[in-house]
Amino acid sequence: MKKFIDNLGYLFICLILLGVLALALFWALSIGTVKLPMNQIYQAVMGQLSGNLPIESSGRGPVHDIVWILRMPRLIMAGIVGCGLASCGVIMQAIVKNPLADPYILGISSGASLGATAAILLGIGVNFGPNFVGICAFIGAFAISLAVLFISNLGGRSNSMKLLLAGMALSSVCGAFSSFIVYFANNKEGMQTIAYWMMGSLAGAKWSNIFVIGPIVICSVLFFWTQSRVLNLMLLGDEAAVTLGMDLHVYRQVYLLVSSLIVGFVVYAAGMIGFVGLVVPHVVRALVGTDHKKLIPITALTGAIFLVLADGLCRIIIPRTELPIGILISLIGAPCFVYLMIKRTYGFGGN
Amino acid sequence: MEILAQAVKMAFGPKEILKGIDLSLHNKEFLGIIGPNGSGKSTFLKCIYRVQKPTSGTILFNGKNLDELSYRESALQLAVVAQHNSYSFDFTVLDVVLMGRSPHKKILERDNAKDFEIAREALSTVGLSEFEKRSFSTLSGGEQQRVILARALTQQTECLVLDEPTNHLDIKYQLEIMDIVKGLDLTVVSAIHDLNIAAMYCDRLIALKDGQIVGMGTPRELLTEKFIYDMYEVKSIVKHENGRMNIMYIPKHHEKKGE
Repeated sequence: MKKFIDNLGYLFICLILLGVLALALFWALSIGTVKLPMNQIYQAVMGQLSGNLPIESSGRGPVHDIVWILRMPRLIMAGIVGCGLASCGVIMQAIVKNPLADPYILGISSGASLGATAAILLGIGVNFGPNFVGICAFIGAFAISLAVLFISNLGGRSNSMKLLLAGMALSSVCGAFSSFIVYFANNKEGMQTIAYWMMGSLAGAKWSNIFVIGPIVICSVLFFWTQSRVLNLMLLGDEAAVTLGMDLHVYRQVYLLVSSLIVGFVVYAAGMIGFVGLVVPHVVRALVGTDHKKLIPITALTGAIFLVLADGLCRIIIPRTELPIGILISLIGAPCFVYLMIKRTYGFGGN
Repeated sequence: MEILAQAVKMAFGPKEILKGIDLSLHNKEFLGIIGPNGSGKSTFLKCIYRVQKPTSGTILFNGKNLDELSYRESALQLAVVAQHNSYSFDFTVLDVVLMGRSPHKKILERDNAKDFEIAREALSTVGLSEFEKRSFSTLSGGEQQRVILARALTQQTECLVLDEPTNHLDIKYQLEIMDIVKGLDLTVVSAIHDLNIAAMYCDRLIALKDGQIVGMGTPRELLTEKFIYDMYEVKSIVKHENGRMNIMYIPKHHEKKGE
């Protein structure tokens, strides 16, 4: 399989994956409580794309509303979130030079959940509007990344190990604060809301969000793609990079900020969705190798496909109920991952 | 390429590792640095290839102060094969070798046909053309070091620094790597543990002990039985045969038997 992929050329693989992504979108649009035949979806999609009417305009018929208002936004968002998380996973693994890293590793998850907890239980940031929980989570996540960067630069230049340790330390501080708030708020309903929020959901996706988050995530991924040479050197470590003419210090900080931004927005849009950012990079690495020139675009597309399929599945897997996407991903993803670990000769970082 | 080090000192806290090293490296010379463990060989080389910054003193590359050169500029002049490298991610051999082109590239520039040609040529120089698609981590230690050597060659520099690259390789690989380097017509500085190998390949040797230069000269001048005893506290017999040197060590238990 690996040989076959090598011969294909990675840009061609990207094209194939784009095709698969489109198919996945169509499939996921067709399923749910109301099953829609492909030709109706096609008409609804084309009707919207060729006309000039805004999406929300009324009286366009039930098929249009189901496709464009109920299903499409969350699927597009799923794609964006998957793309963002998977590529951030690759970047984080390079930044901290550790194959166990995922997008949340540097304390971002605890920062986000502290923000969300404070918002839900203490009502902080209610003025931010309907998605104030998401906004607080974004602030929490981004603030933690800045703090991690700052701390790891105290007393000498930061390196991957210091970043990891600073992330761990801040993560437990945030965890403690969250527990503190939960303990003293003594609010059962609020705790339930937090628990749901932590499972991640794309149900709140709106077009207005997509138009902001989509370009940011896509531009960042393209940016990372241009940085493949530096990312490759990052995996060799600081010393080898210096002898090859590259000081990684500045790059590391910039990449960290950009990926925190992506993860922050993802958390804002969909809460915490684990596993994608850890597993998709490894799966893709096992198939196409570690060179970031190939790895980044293919991982981004695979992440998008994975989440679109997962979002489709979690609407139909239990009839009339929606399974939180985080649960589903781990349920399907983990066994697949284990299978891959047993089956393949891929080292997953160890030799 | 000429490298000049003037009064290079290096200290970690109160511990002085290098106590003022003066050294000049001539064009196309093969210079060996010998000395016991902890003598500062590696630290000195690290100062030259910029992984560590000397506490004081200057290092000049072709008359230019190292502090004024960017990492990219210095990587265009000097390539490094360091002590054993292991990576926790799986690169193919060709990926690793191509990284040697990094200093030649602008940040957005992709590798072109020319880069691949240079990389493949370097791989054939080290005799690993067949290994191009193999994954780096599946190679043996000796093969890995040869790949790293190929990477250094891909940098197309005038000077090569070897920081004990043949440590923990078996004899065959040690000789193989040194032979390849010797055949390259480059300026080479190498830290070497094995005195026989140092004598075989180096034009000139420098001996470091406790962060100071304690001897300098051709292998024939420098490596005498007395000098080896002073450096390593080991007795030895040095023989010269057909212009080749042969150093035999006499371990302590052997000495007693002889009495």
